[in-house]
Amino acid sequence: MLVRSCAFTRLNARSQWVRYNSSYPIHRFAELASRPSSRHQIYQSLSTDPYVNLSIEHFLLENAPADSSILFLYINRPCVVIGRNQNPWLETDLRALHNDRRPENKNIHDDAAVYVRRRSGGGAVFHDEGNLNYSVISPRTSFTRDKHAEMVVRALHRAGAVNTSVNVRHDIVMTPGEELQNDPNEPPARKVSGSAFKLTRHRALHHGTCLLDSPNIHDLGRFLRSPARGHIQARGVDSVRSPVGNVSRDMADSFFSMQAVMDNVIEEFARLYEVNSDALLRARRARALEPEIFAGDDWVSGTVGDAHEEQEPRIKKGVDELRSLEWKYTQTPQFTFSTYPIEDDPRERPPLPSSLPPSTRAFLRLKHGAVIESDISFSSNETVASEQATRVHQVLNGQKLHEITFERWVDILQQSLAGTDEATEPAIQELSRYLGDMLGGH
Amino acid sequence: MSSVARTVRPFASRVLAQKPLASTCRAAPAFRFPRGTRTFSQSPLSQLKKYTESHEWIELADGSNTAKIGITEYAAHSLGDVVFVELPEAELEVGAGEPVGAVESVKSASDVLSPVAGKVIRGNEILEDNAKTINASPEGEGWIAEIEVADAAELDALLDEAAYKATIDA
Repeated sequence: MLVRSCAFTRLNARSQWVRYNSSYPIHRFAELASRPSSRHQIYQSLSTDPYVNLSIEHFLLENAPADSSILFLYINRPCVVIGRNQNPWLETDLRALHNDRRPENKNIHDDAAVYVRRRSGGGAVFHDEGNLNYSVISPRTSFTRDKHAEMVVRALHRAGAVNTSVNVRHDIVMTPGEELQNDPNEPPARKVSGSAFKLTRHRALHHGTCLLDSPNIHDLGRFLRSPARGHIQARGVDSVRSPVGNVSRDMADSFFSMQAVMDNVIEEFARLYEVNSDALLRARRARALEPEIFAGDDWVSGTVGDAHEEQEPRIKKGVDELRSLEWKYTQTPQFTFSTYPIEDDPRERPPLPSSLPPSTRAFLRLKHGAVIESDISFSSNETVASEQATRVHQVLNGQKLHEITFERWVDILQQSLAGTDEATEPAIQELSRYLGDMLGGH
Repeated sequence: MSSVARTVRPFASRVLAQKPLASTCRAAPAFRFPRGTRTFSQSPLSQLKKYTESHEWIELADGSNTAKIGITEYAAHSLGDVVFVELPEAELEVGAGEPVGAVESVKSASDVLSPVAGKVIRGNEILEDNAKTINASPEGEGWIAEIEVADAAELDALLDEAAYKATIDA
């Protein structure tokens, strides 16, 4: 008995020198993450590319062992991310975002925020470098929608943001600090974090934003306000608008750092899932500029980054899918755009630009982002208008809306209407400009 | 004794199962009744509806190889208010375990997996305008897809009602 316990101690002591808790080259990430024994995994991303981060996350959802629990933290460059079943023409102002619909822009990397459709449900959000994204992937059986939002609230409390809590929508909100409590313009609570979920056969993914210190906090609404919102009626999922705030607002600068919050989230995750202390140590130390991966018997932690897009074909496939215009635009649930009240959407409409003939009408019904019904005409004479609409529809039918640029609108209208009643060249130009501006054809 | 029972049972149940369907067999030559798992105590008709661990149901139309697929009462209840249903396009070929649609509720997107391989005949258009039908009647009006089953014997491997109930009570 004594002998055996001695031998065991020696073995234990030796194991600290053996490569049981050691660094791996980053191309081993996919293999280690999929390893059946990797029950706990903690990663921070060095990539700020939303397509890469969402695809690393998706890879982990699909490939990590079914009983594992994973924390993944990332920060994206400015972008608007809409829910899986949302409509970019309704949820975003495409004019404020990088125009990915024009092929000539494909390789232009400007500073403009990019548009992303994620794979999980929920509403539209804006991300930037002051927004921390947390993602927890865990077994579906033990998952609840508030579990990980509560975990993040505990982390925020430890960082000093004690006025944060989870609301009924599984979001994290912040009540005003003392100095703002009597301000009549201050809402009762500001949202600092929104959640979305993806459920698969065995796994649950919960990811959330957390506005820690966004420099765009005062005008991020402009990315989320569509010029066509008074004209579009859409199936699918609506966003719930909420006043937002930065967690840093009520804290002295000296007390606040993004990294401190990230460390707290890692620690709370480790506590919730009883993660090995070596894993925690490695995860907290992972701040290198180059990705590095560490692993023990039942854990993996470290940093991941852009290199994984090239190294792991399944991640590359996910990135390609998210970047594709098919996923971004044609995944949109059915919707209508109309400049006049219709049965499906009887709202009063804002007036048309005064430069257009007052009898101008434009109605589109789109399925999978393509025109299936339309009614576009200039004439005030009903019969002529109906003929015009028929001619336009012959050209427009089946066209994908995201492919119709301003120039294409001019083409379509000229081709079908030139020389007919009220369809003057200036009227065609003006309607094209109007539709292009409303529907991302700029 | 037990070895006799084992050899006799599949044969006997096959006979039992095919009897009421004999007249329709000619009309649908592709149809084969699932065999092998049935016991004497269960009626063949109740066997047309099967379940998966991931909370889908599939119900074979009597005497044909078309089946409706949906999510179970339990799943509809646990997902909460359904706000959108992604329906499959007709002609889509699906393998067992592949998505045949998706449901969104309370910010959660969940894939609906086809329990068996087949080809989509149609999605349930009622859900386009009224996704909440899934909550009201998940195993009736709120079916999600109708498919042509490639091999009806595949249903054999799925859970019957009692086995499914056992998985959710566990």
